[in-house]
Amino acid sequence: MKVLHSGEIFEQVFVDESVNLHVMQEAGSKLKIHLINFSSATNAITIEQVGEGCTTEIYALAYLHGTEKVTTETHVKHAVGGGTSNQLIKFVLEDEAQGHFIGDLKIVPDAQKTEAHQTNRNLLLSETAEMRTQPQLEIYADDVQATHGASTGQLDETALFYMQQRGINKQKARQLLVNAFMKDVLATISDETLREQLLNSIDGVVE
Amino acid sequence: MNKLLEIKNLHASIGGKEILKGVNLVINEGEVHAIMGPNGAGKSTLSAVLTGNPAYEVTEGEVLLHGKNLLAMEPEVRAREGVFLSFQYPVEIPGVSMTNFIRTAVNEKRAYEGKEPLSPKEFLSIMREKKKLLELPDKLNNRSVNEGFSGGEKKKNEIFQMAMLEPCLSILDETDSGLDIDALRIVAEGVNRLKTPQNASIVITHYQRLLDYIVPDFVHVLADGKIVKTGDKNLALELEEKGYEGIA
Repeated sequence: MKVLHSGEIFEQVFVDESVNLHVMQEAGSKLKIHLINFSSATNAITIEQVGEGCTTEIYALAYLHGTEKVTTETHVKHAVGGGTSNQLIKFVLEDEAQGHFIGDLKIVPDAQKTEAHQTNRNLLLSETAEMRTQPQLEIYADDVQATHGASTGQLDETALFYMQQRGINKQKARQLLVNAFMKDVLATISDETLREQLLNSIDGVVE
Repeated sequence: MNKLLEIKNLHASIGGKEILKGVNLVINEGEVHAIMGPNGAGKSTLSAVLTGNPAYEVTEGEVLLHGKNLLAMEPEVRAREGVFLSFQYPVEIPGVSMTNFIRTAVNEKRAYEGKEPLSPKEFLSIMREKKKLLELPDKLNNRSVNEGFSGGEKKKNEIFQMAMLEPCLSILDETDSGLDIDALRIVAEGVNRLKTPQNASIVITHYQRLLDYIVPDFVHVLADGKIVKTGDKNLALELEEKGYEGIA
């Protein structure tokens, strides 16, 4: 287990790794991590805010093909009030790929003035791809701002046709839409070089 | 005069329901054809079928563009051959910037014609020039396609794309709907300036109003899946006066 001491900042982008991380955040510390997976992996992230005024940001993107599978599990616990947590988790699944998200968010009774957001959006690009989403919210404090949203959908056919009508071939139109879906996760990476590198790697097909 | 488009006995259906029941139409280069008709007559179906919308099924008939079998082409190939649809409801595409979208479209067409892609500099200068035509603000370049655009901006944006792609056949599907009179004038002027002796337009509209600005050579009345009457621009005025029931 890792301890982020008072006011400490921890920021890391994990690309194509299985990440197992357990962090205890003390007052005013900031944590920001990205889990970027282009192949099978298992991620287990546990964050406990034990001091006031902490910030936790978890961004995860998995873009999978074939029979690849990614499981991402997040456990975020607000043990003290006045903290913020923000989670944006996206899966893009082609072929027979599988995604599994378990998001466990807990705000204890005394953790007032907590702000916690968890968003999970998934794009299924084939009929045989499979997504499982298991959010688990335990909110015991009443003076909090907490939001949660999960959705799984397919590519917008009307947008695909619109692009084809402008002469863009279907495959490229599809890739533009998929990239657009993934971009907002990558756009939150602070390291500009890495951010551009990852954006270019998904954009490569288009440019 | 050279034939641009020939529609022969076109039948089409959606979800098993027949909408077009034998449409015949010949469009020559340089002509503007208006298609009017009551709701549900098949006007939008005709534009969807000509552009290859996969929701519709052609059950009978033939369409030739410059003598080539249009219906056998993928939607993107029809577009590169010069068929352009100004959508009645332009689609919002979050996350895809206008600039990236149009540049991709223009360069796909150029590649199809065996031309080199435009350099970013050339592209931006053409884009700036065409934007003026529609009085579109520059700030829209960096936005996602149609996202957060007003109704008028969406329609102007359609005609802007038409200006960028220089189609031989433009289909304007209810382009006037939702436009105030100023936006209507700008859009119509844009369309008129793009007119050449080689290209042609199909203007689908409910109302005569648009035809004061874009003057058609022919007006067709589409009712229950067929063209039931054809005339010159005076037919539109007559329709406005007597209604469709008085004509068909």
